[in-house]
Amino acid sequence: MASRPAEPRRLARLALGLLAAGTLGAAPATAALRVVATFPDVADMTRQIGGDRVAVETLAGANQDPHRVPMKPSFVTKLNKADALVVMGLNLEHAFLPGVLDAAANPKIRPGASAYIDASLYVPALDVPTSLDRSQGELHPLGNPHFNLDPVRGKDMARAIAEGLARVDPAGATQYQDGLRRYLALLDRRIAEWEQLAAPLRGLKVVSYHPDLVYLAQRYGFEVVDTIELKPGVPATPGHVEDLVARMKQQDVRVVVREVTYDMPLARSIANRTGARLAGIAVITGGLPGADSYVDFVDANLRALVAVAGSS
Amino acid sequence: MLVPTLRRVGATARARASLALARTLDPTSRLCGSIPLLALLSLPLAASAESTGERALRQELEATKAELSSTQQQLQETRSALSALTQRVDSMQQSPAPPAAASGAETARLAPVNAGNPAISFVVDTRGFSNTHGDGGAGFDLANAELFLSAPIDPFLRGYASINGNSEEGFDVEEAALVTTALPGNLTVKGGRFFADVGRLPKWHDEALPFAYRPLSIDRIIGGESGAEGLEVGWLAPTDTFVQLHGGVYNSIGSELREEGGVFEGKRSWSELTYLAHPSVYVDLTDRASVELGGTWFQQPQRADRRVAGVDVTFRDQPGTGGFYDGTTVGAEWYWSKARGENADPEIDLATGEPLLDADGNEIFGSSVFHRIGGYGYVETFFARRFSAGAVVDYSQAPVGAPDLTRTYSAFVTWRPSEFQRLRAQIDQIVAAGNHNDQRFTLQWTAFLGSHSHGFATR
Repeated sequence: MASRPAEPRRLARLALGLLAAGTLGAAPATAALRVVATFPDVADMTRQIGGDRVAVETLAGANQDPHRVPMKPSFVTKLNKADALVVMGLNLEHAFLPGVLDAAANPKIRPGASAYIDASLYVPALDVPTSLDRSQGELHPLGNPHFNLDPVRGKDMARAIAEGLARVDPAGATQYQDGLRRYLALLDRRIAEWEQLAAPLRGLKVVSYHPDLVYLAQRYGFEVVDTIELKPGVPATPGHVEDLVARMKQQDVRVVVREVTYDMPLARSIANRTGARLAGIAVITGGLPGADSYVDFVDANLRALVAVAGSS
Repeated sequence: MLVPTLRRVGATARARASLALARTLDPTSRLCGSIPLLALLSLPLAASAESTGERALRQELEATKAELSSTQQQLQETRSALSALTQRVDSMQQSPAPPAAASGAETARLAPVNAGNPAISFVVDTRGFSNTHGDGGAGFDLANAELFLSAPIDPFLRGYASINGNSEEGFDVEEAALVTTALPGNLTVKGGRFFADVGRLPKWHDEALPFAYRPLSIDRIIGGESGAEGLEVGWLAPTDTFVQLHGGVYNSIGSELREEGGVFEGKRSWSELTYLAHPSVYVDLTDRASVELGGTWFQQPQRADRRVAGVDVTFRDQPGTGGFYDGTTVGAEWYWSKARGENADPEIDLATGEPLLDADGNEIFGSSVFHRIGGYGYVETFFARRFSAGAVVDYSQAPVGAPDLTRTYSAFVTWRPSEFQRLRAQIDQIVAAGNHNDQRFTLQWTAFLGSHSHGFATR
């Protein structure tokens, strides 16, 4: 049967209808709070707590070394339109955030403003330097910023984020409180499982590449004997490597932890020379394959450590 | 206190026994245990015939009993106080105080800016060099010594200053600028003395350059860094793509021009100021690759004495994952300059064919408008976190007078032992029209004392 050509008026109505539907469809049901998170860890927590009330964008990628994130102009446009900014804190973002915030022309998310949400607010900081002499390496003046590896500190982060969201969006305070309660319940359940899982780590001696295991080691009772880096942020010298290898043999250190953003050949070489096993962990959520949520990130790290601890 | 008293009383064997017992008990038990012992002591003494010695002993005993009573009362008071303190400690443990960081209106942990003082840094940038030809010779120079101060001023403004000097010039205020932080409409206003927003590298400080020397093309056409005194407005487009526009008005542009007194002497009219526009756009090609494009135009309207147009492009590959290969930057800038200046050749008397002379007998040079071009391109690859290597090609002409075409080909290797120290070796092949080719070898050593960053502009 031959199709009948559509009348121009019908076509026009159809086009208008489609346009209207498209316009309505494009508009969000409710204007979600535009949140920019510096790292995937705090982005995931913000989504878990805020639910559909927040639209979260992340700045740094999961595979990036958090100390060396470049200042991308695309960060500036995200920050410019943000209603809130969630940072890990303890100066972890020192390499890139001050510069892009200066360019973002958004005073409400500048440090100290109410929409600047600092996830480290309730974290008891470790490794707080007593002096800031740079001969000690690239120190963080407020303490070691790698608290996110410890899931109990994750609860502190979640609390600070929920409070920050409620501060920026008081109408959603109940929802954020509910989201926080659910998320803390999830973390508590998994923390109980991880206590069992991580039992083989107790008393283990390890060497890591960078001093980022301090919180995790304190939580699960293992000892970080030294780092492959000479000092925080200062690469290993040949003399330091020789000294490290000798001390690892002397102290029977059986595990070398290589954070996935650091050099594999040197870590492998040290492991080979000392007979230690090599464990790869991430310092940022998403750094290990398939571990895109904060809970999966903690889980993947602990399993990677336990896998080598059990056989070392 | 009680035990010495007992020792006085304990001339008798019973007293000695009491003392021995008391020594075996802790202080509280000693007190409690001493009460019945003293009672036992007092009964046989009362029954015996009184002698002078006994009376004295009884008096001493009464005094001791009174002292004991007083001590018991003090002990009871101490126990009450201890109990109250214990209750307070228990109640504190049951409901711990909130973390100190959560008190008041504090919303973040922020590093103090040295208790109200600005962030202060000092850069030492020094070089040793050797030229095979040309007038450079061999030697050392202080390429740059820079004191940099920066801090927020109030909720609406931040400020910074850069005071620097080098082997050729004494210390000078290179930049002293105020920048707004809270204007509506995505606007930012900068005022004072600062590097105008020209291209990419013209607004970079010397020590931040990716190679040992500022490209000669930039030195000649821009006049060194884009130093200027004036007012500049930046606008960030409210779009998902980074689009930024800077516009400004300045006395002049070019640090070397300013140091030489500028193009104009005395007072300027509005048409003798320099006006600038610089749009730029940035696009993320992938998660790790990006490209940034910019166009610069600035001009003095008066007689078109100086007009410069340029384009800049930067491609970056930034994997940021810590592997051996750590990224690549490719950058290029090209400028077209139109400027009025003194002719290279003197005016000629058409009748005689000889140069025209002024009253003092000097040759007379007329002025013309010169059209000149110049620019550079470079590539730098980063590896193993602390190393980079690259190459630069530069093409330059003098902005006025004889063109003096010069091509420079450079290769460099940089090692950063830490974030705050840098060693760089560079070799330049300088090919200048009418001169021997010059090979220049340079070793540059740069260190940063304190917190040093020129922020987003030197990304």
